[in-house]
Amino acid sequence: MIDAPARTAWYVYGVAEDEAALSQLAEVELIRQGRLTAVVREVSLDEYDETVLPQRLNDRDWLEQNARAHEDVLQSAAAVTAIVPLRFGVIYRSREQVGQMLHERSDEFLVTLERVRGHVELGVKVWADMQMLGRTLADGEAPSAAGAGAAYLQRRRAEQERSRELAVRCAELAEEAHVRLDAVASAAVANRPQPRELTGRSEPMLLNGAYLVRDGDDRLRREVERLAAEHAELGLEYELTGPWPPHNFAGEAQ
Amino acid sequence: MSVVERRQALAEQVTLLDLVDRVLNKGVVVTGDITLSVADVDLVYVGLRLLLASAATLDREAAR
Repeated sequence: MIDAPARTAWYVYGVAEDEAALSQLAEVELIRQGRLTAVVREVSLDEYDETVLPQRLNDRDWLEQNARAHEDVLQSAAAVTAIVPLRFGVIYRSREQVGQMLHERSDEFLVTLERVRGHVELGVKVWADMQMLGRTLADGEAPSAAGAGAAYLQRRRAEQERSRELAVRCAELAEEAHVRLDAVASAAVANRPQPRELTGRSEPMLLNGAYLVRDGDDRLRREVERLAAEHAELGLEYELTGPWPPHNFAGEAQ
Repeated sequence: MSVVERRQALAEQVTLLDLVDRVLNKGVVVTGDITLSVADVDLVYVGLRLLLASAATLDREAAR
């Protein structure tokens, strides 16, 4: 009996230019086409076939292991050269097809590489303690001496007005933080804040920003510290993550 | 699992969320022979939501 040929394919992590720098990476292969080099790994189709991939993604351990592996490869590549991260789960059935893809999108990759070269991505999240922030708003009107029903309505209206003011204040603070961080970054993106059901935190997230900064440039980190100090008494908390490979700046011109 | 271990699992979940947000949701979109669809990624978020919800429920039960 003859064994069926192993069903393998090539998983693409990212695209870079400097093949020599990448050759020191462990556990990956390189596919070169023109000026570009794709960082790939041969994977089993049993793991990544489109018929099994959706189920695999719902296996928390598989997801975590593979998402981390994707990130790890990009991190080690980004440590030696500029790289354009690809989204998780791009797979080709042959090396030739990877080369073909590099050829077809070469202009776009070269432009993006130029943009991210020498840069890292930093993430900034802002969380708000709503009770603390609420206390910093001006106090509402003093309760009037009206009857019980009228007083109730008045209280309701005051509460609604207050929660509107609070929402406006949150939006202003998020905007202020993003504008100030954008001013010290080469590029900036304000992503949709992660919802509470996903963060598991009781405080809402006001800002979920990503900033492209020159490697070694300390200005964004210092601006985060300044903002955090200024906004501490309002109940805001700043969280800085990274450096990440430039995931948020890999697409079309920002 | 103790409440503390639960909390720890929750903390790891948050890290996984950041990872998923970047690795599965960002980066250049290239159409391979096999490519993750938007629907697949949406399902990942649904899965994470369920995981967190059940962790939170267990937390509440443990606290009782």
